[in-house]
Amino acid sequence: MKFRLIVLWLVVGIPLLWGVSKTLQNALKLFG
Amino acid sequence: MPSSFLDRENTVAPAGYNRFLVPPAALAVHLSIGQAYAFSTFNLPLTKLIGITHSAPSDWKLTDVGWTFSIAIAILGLSAAIFGRWVERVGPRKSMFAAALCFGGGFIVAAVGIHFHQLWLLYLGYGVLGGCGLGIGYISPVSTLIKWFPDRPGMATGMAIMGFGGGALIAAPLSLLLMDHFKTPTSTGVLETFVTMGVIYFMYMMIGVIAVRVPAANWKPAGWVPPVKPQRLVTTANVAVDNAWRTPQFWLLWGVLCMNVTAGIGVLGQASPMIQEIFSGRVTPTAAAGFVGLLSLFNMGGRFFWATISDYLGRRNTYMVFFLLGILLYSAVPTLGHLGHIGLFVAAFAVILSMYGGGFATIPAYLRDIFGTMNVGAIHGRLLTAWSVAGVLGPVLVNYIRQFQIDHGVAKAQAYSITMYIMCGLLFVGFLCNLAMRPVDERYHYRAPTPAK
Repeated sequence: MKFRLIVLWLVVGIPLLWGVSKTLQNALKLFG
Repeated sequence: MPSSFLDRENTVAPAGYNRFLVPPAALAVHLSIGQAYAFSTFNLPLTKLIGITHSAPSDWKLTDVGWTFSIAIAILGLSAAIFGRWVERVGPRKSMFAAALCFGGGFIVAAVGIHFHQLWLLYLGYGVLGGCGLGIGYISPVSTLIKWFPDRPGMATGMAIMGFGGGALIAAPLSLLLMDHFKTPTSTGVLETFVTMGVIYFMYMMIGVIAVRVPAANWKPAGWVPPVKPQRLVTTANVAVDNAWRTPQFWLLWGVLCMNVTAGIGVLGQASPMIQEIFSGRVTPTAAAGFVGLLSLFNMGGRFFWATISDYLGRRNTYMVFFLLGILLYSAVPTLGHLGHIGLFVAAFAVILSMYGGGFATIPAYLRDIFGTMNVGAIHGRLLTAWSVAGVLGPVLVNYIRQFQIDHGVAKAQAYSITMYIMCGLLFVGFLCNLAMRPVDERYHYRAPTPAK
């Protein structure tokens, strides 16, 4: 159950973090 | 009829099931359908399907392509309202599967429309079919999450609805990446991107379909005791969906959501030109794109933050904060613009957009408090028609009032001031709706039919 919990959260967490980091890179241009 | 993998009875969790396995299932669906907010990345490429590097005379116009998103959002609200009861009856797995078929299939039908350059197929595919996927997908995990997290319903639904905000953050760079990959001297790469995204999103939503579980009847989190002391605006009764919309509480909440969304959605659509016009010569298009990105992050973060806070603050108090702080910030924006305070201007809009997202994420828990858990998903579906109305009202207010002022000689930098004060007025209406909220009259409460003697 613990393994499934980690895998599921990684499956949704990784794309979300990727999207957030891309958006953050874009957002930082506001202060550049 | 033999029972299928998709049926509700096959999704009941066994004893000892970890309830934190359910939010990622909901997130898989919401992260996918949240792509809708990034549809604008396709707007320009869709106007160059024939000309490739430029718009040919026979290419679609930007205004025509723009309708695709509007149709999808309108259908989102309608399908959530129409299919809400079905979603409640068949359970989350079957409804998530239907959402995956509609949303993924919508991309494929739209791709056929792109291939044959038939605009109506784009509307039918992404707008109507995809819109049904949006509506069904949006409400499908909500009541399940509320049942799994009776102790923290705001946090649970906030987590899923945060996914809808986060979906755009993934879809925007993903679409650009795919279009860049498929681009050739004879193709913009949009067709291939639509097909690829249709397949990817279908498969990703299937993770949610497979992983989702409903709690067993009368299940409670270990060690959790329902509050003994009754809270005035948290009911222990249930109201059936057909009765709910006959209560004044439903329409007050409809007004609360509609006003909160109208105030945010217009700004979100105009954020880039707005900051460039207000701070003319000081904010470049690149920096303005950064501003839009920042707003998207706060829109997403606000969904989780405010919905979680509402578990402690109470739902009505949380919306009071949205409306009062919103009025304060919107009324300060014109002054901040005149004074040239870019930092404070950006901060004000970041908070406003966090409350815009928070409004979406807190409403399911507010509905649960007022109408009970029995039909909360279906009631939520009907309430989302407020979003459809706000989706038209917000941009129209911002765009037309701005244009009206410019046409009457107001400088572009000042053209948004009146709009901001109108937003304050809308938020005040929302404040009054929220202030008027009372518990539902007992005559609307659900009573199980008594067996015939």
